[in-house]
Formats: sequence, C-alpha cells, structure tokens
Amino acid sequence: METWANKISLIFPILSLMTVADACVHPYPDGNSSLRRMAVEARELGFDTLVVPGAAPLTVAGVRIIPAVIISGESVRTVSGRLSKCGDGQSLVMVEAGEKGFNRAVLNLRGVHVLRGLHRTRKQSFDHVCARSAAERSIAVDIDISPLIHITGTPRQRALGRFAELMRLHNRYRFLLTVSSNARSVLHLRSVDDIVLLCSLFGMEEGDAWEALATAGHLIAPAGPVRVVS
Amino acid sequence: MKPLPPTLRTKKRYILATIEPMGIGADQKELYQAVSCALTSLFGDVRAAMISPAVIDSGPGHLILRCTRGGERDLRIALSTVTVAGNDALVLRPKATSGTLHALRRRIPRVAPPEPGGPEEVSFGGKVYCARRYQGQKVDLMEKGIKSQELLFLTKDDLEE
Repeated sequence: METWANKISLIFPILSLMTVADACVHPYPDGNSSLRRMAVEARELGFDTLVVPGAAPLTVAGVRIIPAVIISGESVRTVSGRLSKCGDGQSLVMVEAGEKGFNRAVLNLRGVHVLRGLHRTRKQSFDHVCARSAAERSIAVDIDISPLIHITGTPRQRALGRFAELMRLHNRYRFLLTVSSNARSVLHLRSVDDIVLLCSLFGMEEGDAWEALATAGHLIAPAGPVRVVS
Repeated sequence: MKPLPPTLRTKKRYILATIEPMGIGADQKELYQAVSCALTSLFGDVRAAMISPAVIDSGPGHLILRCTRGGERDLRIALSTVTVAGNDALVLRPKATSGTLHALRRRIPRVAPPEPGGPEEVSFGGKVYCARRYQGQKVDLMEKGIKSQELLFLTKDDLEE
C-alpha cells in the first residue's frame, strides 16, 4: 500500500528523510495489540516510526521502533534521579508535565526530550517562560490526541482549550511539537490524514501538523551540522 | 410536478469509510447513531443539522455516508472520533470522498475473507481464544467465554513465538 512517507519521497525527493511518527503507543501487555500488529497497522495508516515505552530499538514491518522512557514524578529531584538512570542515549525521555514551577525546572534538565500530558495540567502551567526554554533547549511538547477521540463533553473542551493555548505559544516561540495517539489497541490508531484533521480542531495548521509528526524521529539524533566541542 | 433542476438541488458529498475490525456485528442503524452522536458532541446540533449526515450503504467492512457539500471535512473528523457502535468497539477509517456514488462504489475495498477453516482455538498467555486469521499477517483473537471477552490483535509471528 502506498503510504504518506512514500508519496512524500516521490513528490519531494529532498524530503525523503522526513519521518512520520506516532510519538507514543502502548502495545501488549499494556494494550491489547502486539507490537508487530501495531507496526503493520501503523504502516498501512501512513506512519514509518512509532515511539514505544519500554521497547528495544528495532524495525518491525518496515516501521522504526524508537524506545522511550516515561518519567512521572512529583518533584524535580525524583525526575532528575530517574533521568540519570535512564540516559542510555537510545531512548526518548518523556516527562509527565505538572505545575508551572515543575515544568520550568524540568525544561532545564539535561536529557529530557519531550514534555507530555499538558492537557492534564492546570491552565497557565505551560507559560511563555516554559515555551522559550523549550524552544532554546529543543525539547518537544507532546500533543496527545486521545482525549479528542475517547472523551466527550467538558474534559474534551478543556483539552481543546489547552491545546489551543499551546498553539498560540508555539506560533510565537516555535518550540518543537510531537503528536501521539497513546493507542493501546490498533482500534485507537488513527491515520496520518485523520490526525492532521483532528489537529485542525485546535488551530494547528497542516504544515505544523506535518512538522510535529516528523519531530519524534529526529529527537534522539537531531539533524544538523557536527559541532566541534573541544 | 417537474423535478428540481440540478442547479437548484442541494449539493451532496459521499464519504467511503472502512470498518475495523472485520466481521463486526454493528448494523446500519447503530452505525448511523454512532456517527450522529460523534458529530453532535464534537460540533453541536447546529453544525450537525447543516451537515445532515446519513448512512446510505453499509457492507462487510465498509460504510458510505452522505452529507451536504462543505460538511465533508467536519464529518471526516467526526468519523475519526467514533469508537463504539452498539456494543462493539470499532474504528471508522475514511478512505475517499466523492460527489457521486458511482465513483465511490468503485473504490470500495475488496474484503479479504477470513482464511478457510473457520475460527480455530488457540492458547495465548494462558487463556483460550478463538482466532480469526486474515490474509497476510493479521490474526484477531477473541477470548472464549460468556461475558467481558477480551480481544487481542496479533500477527501470525506472535502466535508462533
């Protein structure tokens, strides 16, 4: 089947290195679908990369699996302690967001790749200071689309509001974004087109959505010139 | 009475969506209710009335919906938020949008039937499941039992390990 990655590489050969990644899925035993099945389905839906907590770095059914570590801690000290244990350089380190002070501190820690779960935090917990830090340190902020799909009513409205607030800051400070489905089943996975459309609900433009989908694939080994440090 | 000339008729758009997992038991009415609820909860009654969705055809593994022109984008978004129809967990994946049914019917995916032999019993993780195998790698497992049957989505390689 012709995937988006294939279409892009045909139309724009220079963009063939671009990846299309779901920034967090939870296969069996956390979910009801095996990693292989998720990879097969993800490939059909247009993805070429999946970020999987606790997995090993490998390629399944043509889909690159990026291992991840999710750190959720109440204090910065806890997060810092866990960061020093999991910094193997091969895993994407994702930290669950919290209060404003916590987020500001976490964004200054070395080794953090993604700040996730912002829709569960209070309003203003990710402010312009956090946005600037995230942009300067190339730390991505994750947009979890599962509340848009699986929740209705006030909680969904709150999530939409938080994402819209995030987009306003993104348009000003241009920090990195990732998009994740947090799928625990193949039935929770959505196609790339669907994700781009869902992201338009909170004001994310199509180009930004494509950029966000490409981010996770480059966070561990960011593209750019080699710098001589000594 | 003369029929309305084409220029005065309401312009419609048709959306083809596939239904996963295969062999789901939801009927057309349940699917319509699921789509209508999803659309109303996401965009409200006013927008849903403007879009006026209708399920006009459903078959094994696919569904065709009709909406007013200009509403197809919102309907596609609403389709991706459908997670349940009746008592079945499912996903509707929009595949194509067209102005004519004829063009859309040509794009209905051919459903690969489950491999011959009927559902077989397999053991996985210490439990007994009914396995439904599809062409290619996919295997769906449904736990044997009366209620709260667990569904697992695996591949042939997972079962062989």
